[in-house]
Parts: sequence; structure tokens; C-alpha cells
Amino acid sequence: MSTSDKELLGKKPLQILEKIKENLEKLNEKMEIMIELQKHGRREFEPLSPEAPLDVMTLLSMPDHLRKTAMTLCRLGRATADEVAKQTHRARAVESAYLNQLVIMGYLKKERKGRKAYFYIDREGQG
Amino acid sequence: MGKIVAVHSYKGGTGKTFISTNLAVTLAKLGRKVCLMDLDFRAPSLSTLLNLNNAECWLNDYLNGVCEIDKVLIDQSARIGGQNNFFVGLANPSVEAIRDMSSKDRKWEMRALGRLLSLRNSLLNDKGFDYIFFDTSPGLQYSSINAIVAADLVVVASTLDNSDIEGTKRMLRDLYDLFEKKTEIVLNKVMHNSALTSGRDKLQVMVKDVYGVPLLGVIPCFCDVSRAEGKIIFVHEKPEHPFTRIMGEMAARIDKLQI
Repeated sequence: MSTSDKELLGKKPLQILEKIKENLEKLNEKMEIMIELQKHGRREFEPLSPEAPLDVMTLLSMPDHLRKTAMTLCRLGRATADEVAKQTHRARAVESAYLNQLVIMGYLKKERKGRKAYFYIDREGQG
Repeated sequence: MGKIVAVHSYKGGTGKTFISTNLAVTLAKLGRKVCLMDLDFRAPSLSTLLNLNNAECWLNDYLNGVCEIDKVLIDQSARIGGQNNFFVGLANPSVEAIRDMSSKDRKWEMRALGRLLSLRNSLLNDKGFDYIFFDTSPGLQYSSINAIVAADLVVVASTLDNSDIEGTKRMLRDLYDLFEKKTEIVLNKVMHNSALTSGRDKLQVMVKDVYGVPLLGVIPCFCDVSRAEGKIIFVHEKPEHPFTRIMGEMAARIDKLQI
């Protein structure tokens, strides 16, 4: 049993359940990515350099389904999968998968704040 | 909520600067607060049209991240008999600046897109502008595509020249469609009068058929426009001219568009 598990056992049941839920959400995101990889093939998701710029020419060359997500995030600046889904009228889980793909490809950055995951374009940090 | 309108074309000399300036001024005269920006960094022309040579800061500086947009905007409201309703942002016309802008890399272009996108907040939301007009470079330039991506509406100027029509068609299909941009066509320098007087509906059908997008307006070839030699704000100086009436109709249509 790891140290963190031992720590958890000492806490209240509610906190344990929250931790489980958080882990399940992370697992869910990973599964969504795997499902998408199966659907579209690996070719288009090969990770690029960690500093791939998300410029307009890159947007143009993207597959349609990813371009829509990337364009929406360009407009919003920083957003959760839920906020992107509201703009694109696609399911949250779908946007979550696409956003995570864009993170893997090196175009987006992801940051967790509590339970929420925020996606953004790291414009200033590059170059 | 205001709108960002990019005026673009496949070829040069289709009247982008003339159309964007006169549309912007027409909307300002209709009571809107308008900002006109010269994003044609390869061939800046707004500074010449408005006879402004000494900007405190240029749009080049804003995109380079060395100044904020308030320093770039020049109040030109008095020029059109208004108050606090017509502002311009200029591209630096010096050869050195043009050379500098043409040697930017992809990361710079990506940041420039970010700066263009943030105008929605700084000008439309915070400063209460109703419109931002981007006058762009023709063809598939980085700066033009950035402007198109940042815009709500793209107005494409085309003549009836065959290479212009074919190029515009390709651009609509391979560029605007991919970005899912609301696009309307302006046919400029149209020669045959019959198409103008009796056949607006026919032209509308033709444009929809050829380009697959709506027709914003048709501008005939006016000798008076050529005669003005790009030295005046046409709709302001010639309020009774048919060109001014056409600009009025286009501006009203843009104003009504739900985006």
C-alpha cells in the first residue's frame, strides 16, 4: 500500500469518495483519448515538439473535427471542455477527448484547478 | 455586442481599402462607433488615403507586443463631421517596417493572432466599439488569414475578371469554409449596367451559384471614383453620389446581420 493510500484511509469517507471520483474522471479522459485514437487512427495524433505553434496554417491543415475545437479555444482563450462544448454544440466528452488530443499534439496546455481542467494556448511562453 | 469585419480579396486592386474605408465611415455616420485598421502590412495604404504620416504607434507595434491598442488608434471623427465615432489604426508604410513584417516566423504569427483576437475584449467589450474593420492583404497571406480567423464576417471583394472569380472560388472553398466563416461577396467595378438596373436578383442567384455565398452588394465602375484618385473619403465628400447610396445599403445589411 502506498503512502498516499495510507494517508487517505485516515481521512473521512467523503474525502475518499471525492478522491475516487477525481481519479475516475482522469481515467475517463484517458479512455476518451484511446477511443478517439481507435476511431481516427494514430497517424494524426503523433505528438509534435512540445512547442508546436498553433498558428493559422496549422489550423488549416488540421482534420475538420479538431479544427473546430482548436478554433473555439482560440476565441475563448482559456476554457473547460464544457465551455467549448457549449460553443460547438457537441458533447462535453467529445470536446474533452479532442482537447486532450490537442494537448498531446503539443498545441494546447492543460491546467487543473480543483476538479476542473482548463485548456489554453500558451502564446507568450513560446519562442 | 460589436462585430469584427475583415475585408479581403483574392487579387490585389479589387478595392478592399476603398470599400472598407467607405463602409466604416458609412456605419459611423449611421451612429455606430467604428474602428478601421490597415492590416495590409505589405502595402500599407490607409495612411496615404487619410494623409496621416506620424502615428504615435503603428499596428505593427501593437502586434509586436510593444504597445497597447489605445496608443495606436487615431481619432478621425472630426474628418467625417462626427464625434468619438471613427478611429483608425495604421500600418507602418516605411520600407524597413514592411521588410520586418515579411520576415516574421510562425510563433510570431501565432502571437499576432492572439493580439488580434484580444481586440474583441479591449475594443468591442471595454471601449464600446460597434465595429472593427480589418483591411487586409490580398491572397493567402499569414496576416490576412489571421484577420479572417479573428473576424465575425468576411467581406470578399471580387471583380468579374475571370482569374479573380476562379481564385475567389478556390479561396472560399479552401479557406473560409474550413474556418466556417460567415462570408459575403461584393462585386466591384461591374461594367454592364443592365445587370445592375434590372438584374440584382439574377446577380444574387449567379453569385450564390458560382461562389455559394450571399451577395452583399454590387458596385458599378464609377469614373468619379477613379477621378477621386484615392484622396478623399468618398461617402463623406459626395453624399448624393450613387456609390454613397450603395454603401448605405451594404452598411445597413451588415448592421442587420445576426452573427
